[in-house]
Amino acid sequence: MLLFLFRRIGLMLVTALCLTFIVFALTNMPAKLETLAKTQAGSRMTDAEVDRWLERNGYASPMLVRYGEWLGVLPGWVRTDDGGTVTGRCVALRDTPEAAGERCGILQGDWGFSTRFRAGVAEVLSARLGATGLLMMWVLIVMVPMALIVGILAGMREGSRTDRALSTVAIASTATPEYVSGVLLIALLASSTVGLSPLLVSWGWIDGPVLFQGNARSALEDITLSNFTLPVLTIALYGMGYVARITRASMTEVMTQQYIRTARLKGVSFGKIVVKHALRNALIAPFTVIMLQIPWLLNGVVISEVLFSYPGFGWTLYEAAVNNDIELLLASSVVAVVVVLVTQLISDVGYVYLNPRIRIS
Amino acid sequence: MKDFSQEAVDRVHPAADVYARDYRAGKLSRREFLTRATALGLAAPAAYGLIGLAAPSVAQAQTPTMGGTLKMQMAIKAQRDPRTWDWSELANACRGWLEYLVDYQRDGTLLPVLLEGWEASDDAKTYTLRVRPGVKWNNGDDFTAADVAHNFERWCDGSVEGNSMATRMGSLVENNMVREGGIEIVDDLTVRINLSQPDIALMVSVADYPAAVMHPSFTGDDPVANPIGTGPYLPVSYEPGIGAVVERNADHTWWNEGNGAYLDRIEFIDLGTDPAAWVASAESGEIDLNYQAQGDIIDIFDAIGMPRTEAVTAATIAVRFNQENEPYDNKDVRKALQLAVSNAIVLELGYNDLGTVAENHHVCPIHPEYAELAPLTVDGAAARAAIEAAGLGDYEFELISIDEPWQAETCDAVAAQIRDAGINIKRTILPGATFWNDWTKYPFSATEWNMRPLGVQILNLAYRTGVPWNEAAFSNEEFDTLLDQANGIADADARREVMHRLEEIMQEEGVLIQPYWRSIFRNARPNVHGAEMHPTFVVDYVKYWLS
Repeated sequence: MLLFLFRRIGLMLVTALCLTFIVFALTNMPAKLETLAKTQAGSRMTDAEVDRWLERNGYASPMLVRYGEWLGVLPGWVRTDDGGTVTGRCVALRDTPEAAGERCGILQGDWGFSTRFRAGVAEVLSARLGATGLLMMWVLIVMVPMALIVGILAGMREGSRTDRALSTVAIASTATPEYVSGVLLIALLASSTVGLSPLLVSWGWIDGPVLFQGNARSALEDITLSNFTLPVLTIALYGMGYVARITRASMTEVMTQQYIRTARLKGVSFGKIVVKHALRNALIAPFTVIMLQIPWLLNGVVISEVLFSYPGFGWTLYEAAVNNDIELLLASSVVAVVVVLVTQLISDVGYVYLNPRIRIS
Repeated sequence: MKDFSQEAVDRVHPAADVYARDYRAGKLSRREFLTRATALGLAAPAAYGLIGLAAPSVAQAQTPTMGGTLKMQMAIKAQRDPRTWDWSELANACRGWLEYLVDYQRDGTLLPVLLEGWEASDDAKTYTLRVRPGVKWNNGDDFTAADVAHNFERWCDGSVEGNSMATRMGSLVENNMVREGGIEIVDDLTVRINLSQPDIALMVSVADYPAAVMHPSFTGDDPVANPIGTGPYLPVSYEPGIGAVVERNADHTWWNEGNGAYLDRIEFIDLGTDPAAWVASAESGEIDLNYQAQGDIIDIFDAIGMPRTEAVTAATIAVRFNQENEPYDNKDVRKALQLAVSNAIVLELGYNDLGTVAENHHVCPIHPEYAELAPLTVDGAAARAAIEAAGLGDYEFELISIDEPWQAETCDAVAAQIRDAGINIKRTILPGATFWNDWTKYPFSATEWNMRPLGVQILNLAYRTGVPWNEAAFSNEEFDTLLDQANGIADADARREVMHRLEEIMQEEGVLIQPYWRSIFRNARPNVHGAEMHPTFVVDYVKYWLS
């Protein structure tokens, strides 16, 4: 078991290293650095000014050296200008000139500086991850029970009318990408001119102009039903269909097992068979899928957060990519690697406990 | 403002009297008269007085009510040194505590703010600036002539990357710094600026958004972190991409107490670039006004109870040829492409007719020195013939634009007409992140240009030989000489003579296809006052109020 854990963590580190190197290489192409200089110091700078800016801000050294600086295996760049003022990677990060020449990369716990948000990467990411954590929590709270209920109801009696109806809903919801469902939901529920809201207003059922808010910015301060429903629903609907399909498949398989038939022949009521005999075995597969679904939901988070302008992890990733914020992008990829591998780890370990036939060697 | 000292009104620049005569003779519009007269140092009420009008007061219709929180959609970008600002939004967020020497008003006048007044010498080489007495920084220091001089020195420092003020200071800059004897502190409240070349644009330049007046202690690149300024507000928070909050500064006595700072709190909300998100936000009551609406979005906002305000501007799009690239080094090719395009059609298809047709010379009818030329002709067949004569019958031209809808659509309309004339052309649309890397070098592309109050300003900035923003790579000796000459003519009528020729050269040389002048729009709830769209995108929230 311990060996298994170590191996997994080792794999995680190697993956993170490879991924960050690729991201680093892509974001440090000369054209990208030029973009960075222009977004940082004036979009209409001349080429000479761009070169000067890159040189002054430590972007002129070779790419591998800078990757080493970011990792913390090489000392950060240092520069002394004509007036004797010392600038450098570590000087800026630690806010003291004494730090010049030290190593200050992620090995030392320095995540770097976000050029887009003008703040420390660790600070930006922790705040944004907190916001996404809340969103994901609500997504799971909505998605998991809905998916399981739909899947179990559909899988109880394979081929029945309930099964067909619920399966259609599940397939439709999982086949609709977030950028479609999000826009549809906004048009339907969050517009004062089209959709349901004008109708509800004319009937006097709601006070405000719209049923739900089509923008989740205010959820940053205070989460309400009105501002959080649509983003949560957008992500949950997509994941819901998939998990429901897996649950249904697993449920129908269990329902054809010999022991279920035995129970029926013994005269156990149908409800009791489902709850007592079928459910635990049928939930093993969905558990794994739900865990594996979390990294997939991160995709949805990017789209949904940008669409509803809710500044979470996905929104930050988008902003960092659009603005070529190198160190923020690198840190985001590390976070993404950790999320993927940790959820996989949980699903593997959890699987062992749910299914006694499996052993981790 | 009400408290102009008497001498400001007494000494009237001789050219201003000439303007007043022209206005009465119908040669000048009111707006043109006001821009010209106030640029010469005449206070707005005095300028209005010269032509026998009463100055409109901001609070004419209603008395502003104090208090309230205003929520505005606006992009919040990472801050940096004000003189390197390249987006009006950067300046707008800071306008509550950073003030300017003078403000450019919606009606085209210059309003003295931290100056009490100024006079230009008749040759427009010497400017005497009189500092407003009684102004205090919010850290308790007095605002003096030394502070004004310090800011001029900052603006003139060309060694700072991206310092666009250095190009605006013109002949005050020599070797990347202030010229010897360029700034003279006469006494505590008087500064004299001595230029080596006449420059009639100096005062409008210091009204431009990167010219925020900074405290001498400001060194870094973040005016929010250490908000020492003269204005009545202070920043509470500032998060790029998310928003900014500004609140009235209770510990500071503002020099203009009572004539602004009505709101308690202003919240800027950055909702990204997708206008659909702005609409969704407005519908749920999260914003009271937007920063700028374009195209269909204006109508949608109108429909949800946020009427539009319009500003007619000299902002435009320059579909320019770069003369360093083949085949655009050939004047005949450039002129042929111009000939194929009807600017009126571009305005209609590319910008929903929300503007006025322009004439390919980048001088706008609202510029004081605008001279009317003969109307442009459109002749597709002649264009095709000229392209064939140049041996480019099979050549495929390429027109590049940024991915912003109105700019892409404008270029589509230009390209479609060129195609209709029988000339091969393809369109390329680049995302904003890559477009700006090479904006001055593309062979044939479109660039958005904001307005400048004077016609000579834009020509100085964009078409003089060798200047950094000369994206057309235009170089013409006669043009440069005449432009120098025009820069020294304070009298706009006399300058118009020269401008007439400058505009002709622009057209003769086929420098660019400049299809239209944009009107710009902002939508706000009816209870928001003073927040009408400003031609240079100024969001002076110090003057906004809510009823």
